Amino acid sequence: MKKLLGAYRQNGEEHLILQENGKVFVQEGNASEFENSVLLESRNEYVKDVLSKEEISGNDIFDFRYGPVTSGIGEAGIFHLYTYGERILSVKIDTSYKRRGLDERMINSDINDALKLSEEICGNFAISHSTAFSRAVENALKIKVTRDVELLRSIALELERIYNHLYVISRLAQAASQQVLASHLMGLFEDSLVTNKIFSDSRYLMNFNAIGDVLKIPSRKELKDVSDRVKKIENIFSKLYENSMSSGNYIDRLHLTATLDAKEAELIGLTGPSLRACGVKEDLRAYDEMYPEIEITSDEEGDSLSRMEVRAGEIFESLKFVRKTIDDLNLADETTSPNSIGSGEGIGWCESPSGTIVYHVEIENSKIKDVYVSTPSVFGMSAIAHSIVGNIFTDFPFVVESFGVNFSDAAR
Amino acid sequence: MIYIYFSFIFFALGVLTTFYRKVSYIMATIGSAFPFLAAVAGMHTSFTSNVFVLFNGFNLSVGVDHTSAIFLLIASISWFTISLYSIDYGMNYSKKMPVFFNAALFGMFLVLIARDALTFISGWEIATVFSYLLIMEHKHSFKEAFEFLAFGEISTVSLLVAFASLYLENHSLAIVGSHGNWIFLLMATIAFMAKMGIYPLHTWLIGAHSRAPSNVSAFLSAPLTLMGVYGLVRVLSIAGQPEWWGVLAMIFGGFSAFWGALQAAAAKGLKILPAYSTVENNGMILATLGLSVVAYSANLAVLSSFAMITTLILLFAHNTTKSLLFMAVGHAKEALGEDTIDNVRGVWTAVGKIPAISILISGLSFSAFPPLIGFLGEWMTLEALFQSYKFPSILDRLSAVFAGILIALAMGLAAFSMVKLTGYTALGYDHGKKARTIPSFTMRLSEIILSLIVVLTGFFSPYMLKYFGYGTFLSGLFGVPKPFLIVSSHPVFGVVSPTFLTIVIGTLFLFPLAFYLQKLRKVKRVSAWNGGIALKEKEYFTAPAYSFTLEYIMRKVYSMKEIKVGNKRYVSVKDVTTLFYSGLKRATEIVAKFLSLTLMNGHIYSYVLYTMIMFILLFFLIK
Amino acid sequence: MKWWPMIGISKVLTENKKYATKTDVKRMKIFKRSLHIYTIDVGNSNILNFEMRALQTPKYNVHRFGMYFAASPRHADLLIVLGKPTKKMIAPLLEMVNQIPEPFGVMLLKGCESSGIDPDELKIPNVVTSVNGCLDPSEILAILLKISGRID
Repeated sequence: MKKLLGAYRQNGEEHLILQENGKVFVQEGNASEFENSVLLESRNEYVKDVLSKEEISGNDIFDFRYGPVTSGIGEAGIFHLYTYGERILSVKIDTSYKRRGLDERMINSDINDALKLSEEICGNFAISHSTAFSRAVENALKIKVTRDVELLRSIALELERIYNHLYVISRLAQAASQQVLASHLMGLFEDSLVTNKIFSDSRYLMNFNAIGDVLKIPSRKELKDVSDRVKKIENIFSKLYENSMSSGNYIDRLHLTATLDAKEAELIGLTGPSLRACGVKEDLRAYDEMYPEIEITSDEEGDSLSRMEVRAGEIFESLKFVRKTIDDLNLADETTSPNSIGSGEGIGWCESPSGTIVYHVEIENSKIKDVYVSTPSVFGMSAIAHSIVGNIFTDFPFVVESFGVNFSDAAR
Repeated sequence: MIYIYFSFIFFALGVLTTFYRKVSYIMATIGSAFPFLAAVAGMHTSFTSNVFVLFNGFNLSVGVDHTSAIFLLIASISWFTISLYSIDYGMNYSKKMPVFFNAALFGMFLVLIARDALTFISGWEIATVFSYLLIMEHKHSFKEAFEFLAFGEISTVSLLVAFASLYLENHSLAIVGSHGNWIFLLMATIAFMAKMGIYPLHTWLIGAHSRAPSNVSAFLSAPLTLMGVYGLVRVLSIAGQPEWWGVLAMIFGGFSAFWGALQAAAAKGLKILPAYSTVENNGMILATLGLSVVAYSANLAVLSSFAMITTLILLFAHNTTKSLLFMAVGHAKEALGEDTIDNVRGVWTAVGKIPAISILISGLSFSAFPPLIGFLGEWMTLEALFQSYKFPSILDRLSAVFAGILIALAMGLAAFSMVKLTGYTALGYDHGKKARTIPSFTMRLSEIILSLIVVLTGFFSPYMLKYFGYGTFLSGLFGVPKPFLIVSSHPVFGVVSPTFLTIVIGTLFLFPLAFYLQKLRKVKRVSAWNGGIALKEKEYFTAPAYSFTLEYIMRKVYSMKEIKVGNKRYVSVKDVTTLFYSGLKRATEIVAKFLSLTLMNGHIYSYVLYTMIMFILLFFLIK
Repeated sequence: MKWWPMIGISKVLTENKKYATKTDVKRMKIFKRSLHIYTIDVGNSNILNFEMRALQTPKYNVHRFGMYFAASPRHADLLIVLGKPTKKMIAPLLEMVNQIPEPFGVMLLKGCESSGIDPDELKIPNVVTSVNGCLDPSEILAILLKISGRID
């Protein structure tokens, strides 16, 4: 089933960015034929449940505003929960507080400056954003990227996936008051950030990517260190995860909370682990040459527990991938700096920890003429708004955290 | 005796001056001051008027003895303040209203001073009919008024049967010093229970109280239900005090208290909540009365008389506090023109400080906050119920325990519902609303008077006990001088001293308060923290949302349903007893339709004529 | 018997040397033994948010310095502003500063992003320090220790 991820206008024609069966492509068409086209227009201001068209009303219903400053969400954004007390009837998510206008600022800037801005969109998806952006530019300028660079990028992407997933699971554990588990996981999270620093000189893998290149090539010793640390994380995490899955009251909080079925998820345009938790085996990495042995993790139920399980499964996959790739890595001593001058148009995508990130760029004389960014958090938030209906206030953190969305990612 | 005649004269003047509404209500106010004097006079030496012989065996007379003096005292406080309140409040309603008002007061007065059944019934019927007309004063309240009248007539008919059986037994209709049997007691109890709004005969009360004008609500809720209690006390003195009656009273009373409190907790209407609170309080009153009767039949004289004074204190507390609550809430309702708890937020700033404080004081009293009078009443209720272990029979003990559990739950729920009411109305945020200005001098005055009564009678409650003739329950212990300690039994079982509690709490809080006031200038004052931006009106937590969790937990009892119709979402909560009555209504309609088509298909006037002829014939035949 | 108490004491004695910073701060010595912190995101790229979470991990164990993360600004002594405010977040930020009980301090962590308004221009009262760049948790902890007067 085709999922609409974005739409941009070029020469007066509407072009749609679509994803189907793990492949991203552009097609001419009409966005309004898709259920979720409303999201594309409103995402700078707010995100709503796209599947329910009517506004609910009633005398006793009030707007329980959660935000913009709360210690629960931790980001500048508002959840408007419409309720008559305890039961959540409808949600509207206000993203405008975190709108920094980064994609607008990219226009007319130099390609390398725009790459910096793409990292700034969402710090914890920095490498995903910069990879998708540089792939789009490489596509536009027809730059050939060496296999070494692609491999190093993949390792960085997987390291990012590991710490993000660890963070999400620890937040879920914290919401369920599993303080011991949460503290252990936060410890692992910090460990993985340190690993990132060894790998790329930045805890969040910033300033690592460049157009057609990577800015740092880790030394043998550093790669060995990364591999050892990854091994250690794997050992500890597998024990923690096994123990956590035997805790009845932890599982019970997540089980059947905010259930989403595959059809609804695809209509919303959901991608990434949240979609795979609904039973759809779709992953952009499956068609990537860098991942020859990838096994797609998926689950059937589509609830918070499934999403947590899929993320845990992906952590194991990623840890395995990082170790194996580092072991097999045989880097050439020198890389050639590609020439990034010219004009063209291209699309680039990447499987971020929460779903597909797509960039479409138009370049004119090494300057960005137009850019369109499609971020997974927009669709994730719409999925939150849809699946949370009928749940109660106390389920709120489980729903929100399990989708792993960020306001900074959605608002850009 | 002279006070009674004066009172009659002023009520009559009130009826005559109805075209000058203010004057008429002033007459009612003066008229209801005299019953108070009559009560004070009658408290020590009872007096009666001359006997007027209608015909043989039908002797009419009025008078005041100790029992009626106590009830008269309690009722006259409400009458006086409600009449005072009506001087300004009544200007919002028609010119007919003062007639009904004065007449209803007269009817109630007659009930309390009646010495024979005929006078009693006349008073009863006058009060019922004119209360019905008073409820009708509010627009679109026909259904509720009619329901009130239907239950009122059930009550009158049962009372007629009861008095008929009394006449058969004694060949006299005197209600002082005669003797009754169980039929009399049962029928009279049903009559009075309907008036008190005891479960399952409470449904009329909710609609009538919430739809009527607020002075009428106060009037229906406090003094009119007091008539029911008075009737019960009177009837028990005639029929002896059988144990079965006590057990039934405890069970019905306990359940009624629980049911009232439960429904009050879920109420959304501004006046529905106090109405259910009335059901709860009358339930407690009935239960303690039942306890008194059981104790009497088990020869526990001390416990019996303690339960009796508990009943009286509860009655006093309910009467004054509920009048106050209805008045203050009615004041806010009239000023803001809204009738749900949610829409009457911010009485303190929008309407005025006096109604807000009045709502607060009455709410605190109903949630048993020491040292208010409600606290004393509820303490005594529990204390009396705790002593049920003294009963020899296991059935008595079990029923007392059952009632005790329900009443304790009711007290907790009452605190919950009163927090809801006062928290939203008196202390809530007004959203910049401004009430329309209505003339409210006497409204404020009577609210102040009643607030003072609620506070001061709590403080001076030992004197009240003494005045009612229960000085044996006053003592001095633990350094509290006599008579400021109220004891619940002899030998001592439990003690409380509202007076000294006030003094101790006052001292403990006075120093911190002084300290706080001194530092007040340095305190940083900001608006409530709401995530960084100001709350809009639509973002406030609503009153139904406050009680939703309780409704959800007890969804079987409330028959709570979360309704989705189109894009509308709401929670429906029902008092399931109304389902029974609506079923009954439907069945009656079907049967009536069937009969009118088959059996009685003549013209309605012929049936009316037939009924009238038969009535006149019977009247002469019996004579 | 385990020697945990000795280890703990030795850690307390040595940690002064472990954390050091050259950032200029205004010291607030009354919070030396208890510093309650509230953080506000005003539009950063999420890195500073994550770093504040990382600071709460067992690795740094900030509770041993009497530092706690409050759930409401009403309970806080120190407000940490994360990032450079977007236009819409200025009002909530100022309201927040208004809500903190006195005495209080405000710490500006501007991060390494290019977007947003410089918080120094907002004339926020009681700013104890204003730091540029993306710091890692140990550097943030060092600044906090310096503010509370535990290190020089």
